[in-house]
Amino acid sequence: MRRRVAVTGIGIVAPGGIGVPAFWDLLTSGRTATRGITFFDPSGLRSQIAAECDFDPAAHGLDAEQIARSDRYLQFALVAGAEAIQDSGLDLAAENPWRVGVSLGTAVGGTTRLEHDYVLVSHGGQRWDVDHREAGPHLHRAFSPSTLASAVAERFEARGPVQTVSTGCTSGLDAVGYAFHTIEEGRADVCITGASDSPISPITMACFDAIKATSPSNDDPAHASRPFDARRNGFVMGEGGAVLVLEELEHARARGAHVYCEIGGYATFGNAYHMTGLTGEGLEMARAIEDALGQARLDATAIDYVNAHGSGTLQNDRHETAAVKRALGAHAYETPMSSIKSMVGHSLGAIGAIEVVACALALAHQVVPPTANYETPDPECDLDYVPRVARERRLRSVLSVGSGFGGFQSAVIMNLPREKTE
Amino acid sequence: MSDRITVEELAELMKKAAGVTVAPDELQRRSDSGFDTFGLDSLGLLGIVGELENRYGTPMPPDAEKSKSPRQFLELVNSALLAGA
Amino acid sequence: MSAPHPRRAAVTGIGVVAPNGTNTEAFWKATMEGVAVLDRITRDGCEHLPLRVAGQIRDFDPPAAIEERYLVQTDRFTHFAMAAADLALDDAGLGRSDTDAAPFSVGVVTAAGSGGGEFGQRELQQLWGKGSRFVGPYQSIAWFYAASTGQISIRRGLKGPCGVVASDEAGGLDALAHAARAVRRGTDVMVAGATEAPLAPYSMVCQLGYEELSTVDEPDRAYRPFTTAACGFVPAEGGAMLVVEAEGSARERGVPVRATLAGHAATFTGASRWRESREGLAQAIRGALDEAGCAPEEIDVVFADALGVPEADRAEALAIADALGPHGTRVPVTAPKTAVGRAYGAAPVLDVATAVLAMEHGLIPPTPNVFDICHDLDLVTVRARAAEVRTALVLSRGLMGSNAALVLRRGAAGAS
Repeated sequence: MRRRVAVTGIGIVAPGGIGVPAFWDLLTSGRTATRGITFFDPSGLRSQIAAECDFDPAAHGLDAEQIARSDRYLQFALVAGAEAIQDSGLDLAAENPWRVGVSLGTAVGGTTRLEHDYVLVSHGGQRWDVDHREAGPHLHRAFSPSTLASAVAERFEARGPVQTVSTGCTSGLDAVGYAFHTIEEGRADVCITGASDSPISPITMACFDAIKATSPSNDDPAHASRPFDARRNGFVMGEGGAVLVLEELEHARARGAHVYCEIGGYATFGNAYHMTGLTGEGLEMARAIEDALGQARLDATAIDYVNAHGSGTLQNDRHETAAVKRALGAHAYETPMSSIKSMVGHSLGAIGAIEVVACALALAHQVVPPTANYETPDPECDLDYVPRVARERRLRSVLSVGSGFGGFQSAVIMNLPREKTE
Repeated sequence: MSDRITVEELAELMKKAAGVTVAPDELQRRSDSGFDTFGLDSLGLLGIVGELENRYGTPMPPDAEKSKSPRQFLELVNSALLAGA
Repeated sequence: MSAPHPRRAAVTGIGVVAPNGTNTEAFWKATMEGVAVLDRITRDGCEHLPLRVAGQIRDFDPPAAIEERYLVQTDRFTHFAMAAADLALDDAGLGRSDTDAAPFSVGVVTAAGSGGGEFGQRELQQLWGKGSRFVGPYQSIAWFYAASTGQISIRRGLKGPCGVVASDEAGGLDALAHAARAVRRGTDVMVAGATEAPLAPYSMVCQLGYEELSTVDEPDRAYRPFTTAACGFVPAEGGAMLVVEAEGSARERGVPVRATLAGHAATFTGASRWRESREGLAQAIRGALDEAGCAPEEIDVVFADALGVPEADRAEALAIADALGPHGTRVPVTAPKTAVGRAYGAAPVLDVATAVLAMEHGLIPPTPNVFDICHDLDLVTVRARAAEVRTALVLSRGLMGSNAALVLRRGAAGAS
């Protein structure tokens, strides 16, 4: 008997939407949370815009010590985690802690603090032989990416398999996928999963500037993220964190938990082509979709909505359109496909988990979030991108896809629970 | 520093910014061949453009990083340098 | 799992780039002979720091191993990873034409504990010292934790499942377990392991916050786990990549199954809570034995985590006894990592490589620099011990609180 995996709790810290209700309100309104950078003086940068979270950790229950010890991306994960656990109704004290795992993704981890302390120890970038006496007391926690899963596991007293996943921009999808497999294979009954990143710092903005991947529409930040639109000119940096409680389905049912949806399948492949470049064909992403469909035992025609990677770079949106058409065939033209990055930006490793939460909410509300700012069709992107306005639709199975630096292509399928036995 | 970028300088930049070794006379002889045939990819070309911008203190034309061949690249950046001079 | 014929995950190739050897043969020879190579750190910009001793790789020549266009866009940790992957694939007899014939059947998974720190420091210096326009295009792909998996996949044309566990030390075993599970799910070959390069000035400053770090000046006294002189651990660079392959695929290709990854389990007991790690490590050992269908008495050698912190060493010795019962005090235990230091996530992968080689050679390598054990363990010291090794247990704990155990069984090749 195959073990099925349910989503029973969600929590989120996203630009323009901290907490699930505010997040869903933003997504269905089609408003955008992109703006000029306020965290530091961005002058000199090519891209000076981002989707920032107006986030006050103290207002969300973190105490002074937690705030001091935890880099911003950790704070997001702790706050989203608390919301997800509460939402799930799970009494963790009553669970066998060895059967509770954690799988969390991040692309750049503690970079913000690493950069902050670097400036101190190098006297503003003046010395290679840095002065350790200037370093802050929590620097080692920023240096080790496993701090993410570790901090969340400590907070929620998980003692099972605890992993931090870091596959660049597919980290969020992959972390959820690893959690799904962990429960399916019987290594845990509950897994706290998701992802978090806070990359809005000079070094991360500068490194995407250097490859011209981010949008330079500094004079119109609200309309800068334009996935699939012919006038798109790069992604807009974002930040945030999303956490989901995954649970073996019978475990969830036994305690009468609300089940948002099931995770039906997950797969990832490498394109073995280029660290940042994508092919025009989308062969590897199509393969990931097909593999995930196979795990979910679904035909391509069962997919009711595609949550796109839709970063808004010229090549990504074409690649992804080609991949979805390759995997879904003619059905692709009948399937709405939207990018919430148009509203909340691209938070690197976090966004995949934020998008999985968006899918869970889409299934719960039977509503497809739109692609904001979509106005001018690109002949090479010829699918239904749900322009600007959310749409009611009967949703049973949805697909979320992602592409990451390194050539990684991932796909996750989520279903409303089907009662027929397998 | 001359006000024109020569094949010698381009060869040096290809080595420094992208780890691609090519002799200047070969670069000259095959100046219509695609950069990819020399093993230079899009990030490498972006690195070369960035290095030139910092060296000459002037922005390069936006199409420079999309040049397909050494000849096309040199024509673009040299016309920009000439215009800026 | 309910599959009637589970696909077993075999080790068919080993590639090592370590402080005591930049190929597998040299590594095994030095490991078996117990040659300690810990040394005073001589890296540019590091000599003033209060961390003085580490395991450094001194005879690795990147341009001899890797094409220059890959070198310029990657950090030292990825140089090691690409070189180790080449060695492992060569060792497994998998050439480019073999993998090109079925690119989706070969995946890559690495563990990474610190990313491309030296490259990152250089670009941070450009940004803060000169300005954002001086940050190069490769910073976006060299510093992040996924660089090695991505570059191995691209350079070797491998399109199978690609993964990265950005974990503490135990992540090295998790990466191998991830590979074994990918094989069980249907991928024929996974290139799996970890390499680290934490010996750059800023990376070292970051590590100074670890209270478990040894700051002793004398190389032969800096890392002595399981003794009363234990004073913390010494970091190292380098690591290993393995070819993890479906047993059936190895048979079809006619290459020896050198060992199988028979069982793995991971638990978490909190960062630096070493006393609690006793229970967590014991639980991980029991889980790994259970998955392997292995009785405690079958274990012929234990590769210890050997952190070198008294409380952690005591917890490990007790965990071995808790999980293996009376056999725990009789089974040979070794920690060859005292020769080279702890290369974070790569440390247990080096131990797995050593375990496979120990099975093949019938020799358990010693624990250099360690004498006068103050725990109830049969620690192999001074010189290698001849022993028939059919089953090995490799342990690892991480500074952020993970515990992992991996059971290896000798393959058909080793039994002959």
